[in-house]
Amino acid sequence: MTFFRSLAAQWAQRYRKMSIQMVLSLSFTAAAAVGILLMGVSFIWRFSAVNEQIVAENSQKILAQANLNLDSYLRRMMRIADTVYYRVIKNTDLAQGSYTEALGLLYEENRDDLVSLSVFDSRGGLVSSVPLAGLKAGADPAESEWFQAASQNMENLHFSTPHVQNIFEDPETPYRWVVSLSHHVELTRDGVTEAGVLLVDMGFSGIEQVCRDVTLGRGGYLYLIDGDGELIYHPRQQLIYAGLLEENNQTAAGYRDGSHNERFQGQSRQVTVKTVGYTGWKLVGVAPADSWDTSVQLPVFGCFLLCFAIFLMAFLNILISARISDPIRRLDQAVKALDRGEAAEIEVGGCYELQHLSRSVRSMVSTMRHLMDDIIRQEEQKRRSELEVLQSQINPHFLYNTLDSVIWMTESGQQQEAIQMVTSLARFFRISLSRGKNIIPLSDELEHARHYMNIQQIRYKNQFGTRIEAREGAEGLYTLKLIVQPILENAIYHGMAGGEDDGLISVTAYREGEDLVIDVEDNGLGMRPETAASLLSGEGEVQTSGSGTGVRNVHQRIRLAFGQSYGLTIFSEPDEGTLVRIRLPALTEGEAARFRQGEE
Amino acid sequence: MKKTGLPAIAVLSLLGLLAVLTLLAPQLLREREDGRLLALSVLLRDTDSSGWNAARQGMEQAADELGAELRWLTLTVPNDTREQEELLRREAEGGADAVIAVPADPEALRSALDRLAAPCPVVTLECAMEGSAGTAAPDNGEVGRRLAEALLEDWSGGDVLLLDNSGDCPETAPRLEAALEALTAAGVPAVRGTALPEDAPPAWVMTFEDGATRRAAAGKEGAEGFALYGVGASTAVTAQLERGAIAAVAAWSDYAAGYLAVRQAVQALRERSRPLDPLPFSIVRGEDIYAPENQKLLFPVTS
Repeated sequence: MTFFRSLAAQWAQRYRKMSIQMVLSLSFTAAAAVGILLMGVSFIWRFSAVNEQIVAENSQKILAQANLNLDSYLRRMMRIADTVYYRVIKNTDLAQGSYTEALGLLYEENRDDLVSLSVFDSRGGLVSSVPLAGLKAGADPAESEWFQAASQNMENLHFSTPHVQNIFEDPETPYRWVVSLSHHVELTRDGVTEAGVLLVDMGFSGIEQVCRDVTLGRGGYLYLIDGDGELIYHPRQQLIYAGLLEENNQTAAGYRDGSHNERFQGQSRQVTVKTVGYTGWKLVGVAPADSWDTSVQLPVFGCFLLCFAIFLMAFLNILISARISDPIRRLDQAVKALDRGEAAEIEVGGCYELQHLSRSVRSMVSTMRHLMDDIIRQEEQKRRSELEVLQSQINPHFLYNTLDSVIWMTESGQQQEAIQMVTSLARFFRISLSRGKNIIPLSDELEHARHYMNIQQIRYKNQFGTRIEAREGAEGLYTLKLIVQPILENAIYHGMAGGEDDGLISVTAYREGEDLVIDVEDNGLGMRPETAASLLSGEGEVQTSGSGTGVRNVHQRIRLAFGQSYGLTIFSEPDEGTLVRIRLPALTEGEAARFRQGEE
Repeated sequence: MKKTGLPAIAVLSLLGLLAVLTLLAPQLLREREDGRLLALSVLLRDTDSSGWNAARQGMEQAADELGAELRWLTLTVPNDTREQEELLRREAEGGADAVIAVPADPEALRSALDRLAAPCPVVTLECAMEGSAGTAAPDNGEVGRRLAEALLEDWSGGDVLLLDNSGDCPETAPRLEAALEALTAAGVPAVRGTALPEDAPPAWVMTFEDGATRRAAAGKEGAEGFALYGVGASTAVTAQLERGAIAAVAAWSDYAAGYLAVRQAVQALRERSRPLDPLPFSIVRGEDIYAPENQKLLFPVTS
């Protein structure tokens, strides 16, 4: 189990390192190979089965033909026996004549198939015989198996198994192998009938001619056995007799007619059996399995086909997978180039899904670029705005005028006012810095405004009054720093500078829902609404020197920090005064801390 | 494509090569199987081959099955060692792939074989030869011993003559020696002789070669009274056995010997030969000659 897990892990690792083309090629090729293999095995199996059936049918046809020939041969022998019996023996009285002449004629007519024709009396005494005239000394035909078979079964003709005929004196061929056909007969001697036995010795050549040239497939053969499995004819009979070869004849004797598969001496073979009528002999056709079996040739052919198919499939798969994966590869390369920060063109190609993917990636890249440009621009604006704010805090005119006022007050003995002014200036700059923090408590911001207004009131000899307050609910909130002072500065320079002594500038901070609102209001000169609107946009109305820059700066800083829904709103009418409303999110201490972290 | 190009080309080339090889393999195998007929020369030690009919049938059967052709060569003088050596040289130099020999003198034939520039496999019949590719023959010592045992079953007293009149047949000596040893061990008086005594033949005679058995049986017709135990399965010997002139013979299948000799020669040429086991043999008595197994042994099937 561990081994398989390890193997699966290795494969998974290799898979992760493979290119999509390699994965496609290997997968398609493997799937094709498995498919072809299954088809091949199925084909071989089916081909073998059909081939085996064809061989069986062919064997049965051949055996049927051989059986016909053998039956015809045996019937001819039986007809000879019948002729001898009914035409010669029945018509001849031994007291008056002999069978020899008639037997001689029959023998001559059929000498190609016959070895001898003989008639014996019931004791085995030779009555007549052609062409062999006499018995061997000591021969006892009555003891022969053929004689006894004929005597015991009087009705039938009896065919023996092959044997050496040993009863006749035969100087030319003393030991012939024959098949004996014996039949009980009734001899007539002096008008009296007596039992006898007719012997027709058939040569081996007749049976051999029927069986010898029959071939069943490559390496197949035919043999003949009797009902007990004893060999009558076999193409390699002498080898079997010599003990050099074995045949499965005893088993074959038990087979019924038809085709059977057997395994003999390690060889698979198909055995077809056909029983020869009357005799009970069996023709046995043997077809070795390799004559139809596809165990060697077809698998070799199959291997060729498989290799060729894999070759072709691999070739096509590589081409197809390259075509499919090439747009993906190019997209991958383009994305990698983008990762490296290089400029890369994303091509749109391949199939529909890939085109869609490429377009999406291209769109995403375009959006990303725009967003990045926006971020860069915003950061730049933010940086510039903050710089401008800081620069405005150290306005040399403001500092010069303040210090000049301090000198003047000191010289004129207004020690207390001088101290107050310097103290306010110090506090003013301390809060301006706020240790570099951008978000500060509202109280600090209002204190910053208060110190600024202290300085300006001294400078302007209290031409206007100031009221700065934070309503309940707004005390603990936080705000962007240095947003009130530029508006106060604008109110002083443009609203109060040329006014009467009853000028009032008020700063009121309060919470409105989730927002913090700081209203900076004056009762100065006011302005037309168009002018007020153009103060924030910086467009339209011609601006006097410096007017509105600080206000716009505050507006932009708030919107950069908190979004477009925040910022300044200016309400003004000529001679009515001006209200500048600062809207911010109401930041608690925790939210202010998180906002600072986000900025960092 | 660039990354996978080289391996892909290698794999495709390999597959292509495999496909070509697989296509060619069956053809190559078939050509090798076809091959030419092997030329086998059969050197007899007799002047004619009539006594080797059964062996010849066996040889022809094997030659037919194994893809060989046979050339039969006989001597002008029986057991002429020189002539047989000359024939061996001529056949080997004349292109015979292998030789099957019935040695007139195994040692001389071995020497002749050693002198050949390009010796070919030689398989012997009847007797063994050192350096041969095999011998298709029974264990000659065992033949003599078993034949002596058959005689001992019948022996009722008297001398046993071990007849050695087979000329120069080399297989006779081990048979005779083994028989002599068995008889001596059984306390039976046994003497060697080269001919049957005409005046007073012994009651028991043993011969150790087909020709000697045949001659002794023929000689018995004129000298009644001795029991003959011999070696051989020729038709003449079988006829004498049937007539009762021979009491028992040690017989084996010459057909099997011929078949095995050719098969061994072919296997030697194809470098697949294994040592041949001694041929089985049987002691056949006259009364058992027509037992089914003995019929198959003694009488070759002929149509």
